Amino acid sequence: MSHEDHNTHHVNYLAIFIVLCVCTALSVAFDVLPMSKPLTMVLVLAVACTKALCVMMFFMHLKFERNWKYVLLAPTTILAIGLPLALFPDIGASYYTPTAPQTGVWAEEIREYQAHHAAKAHSEVP
Amino acid sequence: MSHSATSHTAPSHSAPSTLKMGIPIPNSKLGLWLFLGTEIMFFTAFIGTYIVLRLGSRGWPTDTHDTHINVFLGGVNTFVLIVSSYAVVVAHEAMAHRNFAKARSYLWGTLFLAFVFLGIKGVEYYGKISNDILPGHIAETASQSIQKVNRELELVVRDRFYDYTSSGVVKTDRPNDIVNIVNQISALPESTPPEGIDADTFAEYQVTAEADFQLFREWMNLHQHIVANVSLTQLSALPADLLAARDALKEGQKLPELTYEEVAAKLQDMKSNEKYGSYVSSGVFDPHPVVYGNIFASCYFLMTGFHAIHVVVGMILFGLVLKEGTRLNGTWTDFVENSGLYWHFVDLVWIFLFPLLYII
Repeated sequence: MSHEDHNTHHVNYLAIFIVLCVCTALSVAFDVLPMSKPLTMVLVLAVACTKALCVMMFFMHLKFERNWKYVLLAPTTILAIGLPLALFPDIGASYYTPTAPQTGVWAEEIREYQAHHAAKAHSEVP
Repeated sequence: MSHSATSHTAPSHSAPSTLKMGIPIPNSKLGLWLFLGTEIMFFTAFIGTYIVLRLGSRGWPTDTHDTHINVFLGGVNTFVLIVSSYAVVVAHEAMAHRNFAKARSYLWGTLFLAFVFLGIKGVEYYGKISNDILPGHIAETASQSIQKVNRELELVVRDRFYDYTSSGVVKTDRPNDIVNIVNQISALPESTPPEGIDADTFAEYQVTAEADFQLFREWMNLHQHIVANVSLTQLSALPADLLAARDALKEGQKLPELTYEEVAAKLQDMKSNEKYGSYVSSGVFDPHPVVYGNIFASCYFLMTGFHAIHVVVGMILFGLVLKEGTRLNGTWTDFVENSGLYWHFVDLVWIFLFPLLYII
């Protein structure tokens, strides 16, 4: 049973705790240090994944659990990753439509379009 | 089929089965893991949607001046949750070793840290609310900013006028009729106290009436310019004057339009006024436009709000164990393990929320 499994695997929780603290400090350091935005993003998310793995493997004992963990967690993980991928083409690629301008860029373009057509209509008046 | 025939082939019911069906973990733990499976999808829906929305919105607000995100407090809260996760795993280990006193003290520590987490979150929320960083409240374009200033100034004026109508200094059957009220307020310095109002109270209102009338005129002037969309450099935007000014225009000419910079400067001017500046400062927020500010605020409050609800549920679980006091015994070991697994999951969610919301 799980308790027996757990007891037979001694984990140095304090060491894991220190790793998690160091990782948190690293996240903040990456934010403070002058570096490009994409690099910060990659590093910070890599640190987050490391922390998540530490928590799942050692604090949640998944490292010592049997294969049922794959049966239980694989479907949810696949669905969880699938959702953003499914949304991306519709929303991630172009969220706001030109009919609902939200940014200065769109507003500017629409103003130019209207000014152009107003001038054209004015010139056509005999 | 005869009974004797079946008795030869049927297995004996009294012999224990050597087969062990199902997963080799307690049912409660299996149930908890299945629940965590649904929780993974629940939070991934939010986090995934946030990532997708953000990727699809160029110019997403990241400046802390716009978002009022406090990276330091977020970092402290991350640390608090990590310490609490450590405490709960030690508590579970102590339960497994039947050291219930140690388990209890670590669970108390976890509960205390959960309170600290919620307290810090409360401070963060206060920072957002006091700056009106709320879904649907944030101006995203210059024209929305101007309209927001107009709306909030009107509320300040109406709030000031409510003092006069509610106290009976100004008598009106229609409290929303601002023109009628302002006429009475402007005449207040030369008026006599109405029936039921003592002279001292009335004198106080006579002093404030001048400032409040001035505040009304400043707002009304700005309001007229906003409605007509005419620059504040045009001295008057009253309908008759405006029509006259428009009539005087030559063909191809037009009156200069109102700009956000003008309104922001005017607002600053009103906030620094000695007589009514404090009312304007407390009633009108910083109106600068924040593109995608509303969708940012929605995502922020949705994700951190649901996470905070999960923290509260975790606190209830630990409270159930701790209410046992010194009676805590081995029968609670599975419960502590399951509560701990849930708590680690809450920590896990925050591990991703912190970089996504606070750093990136």
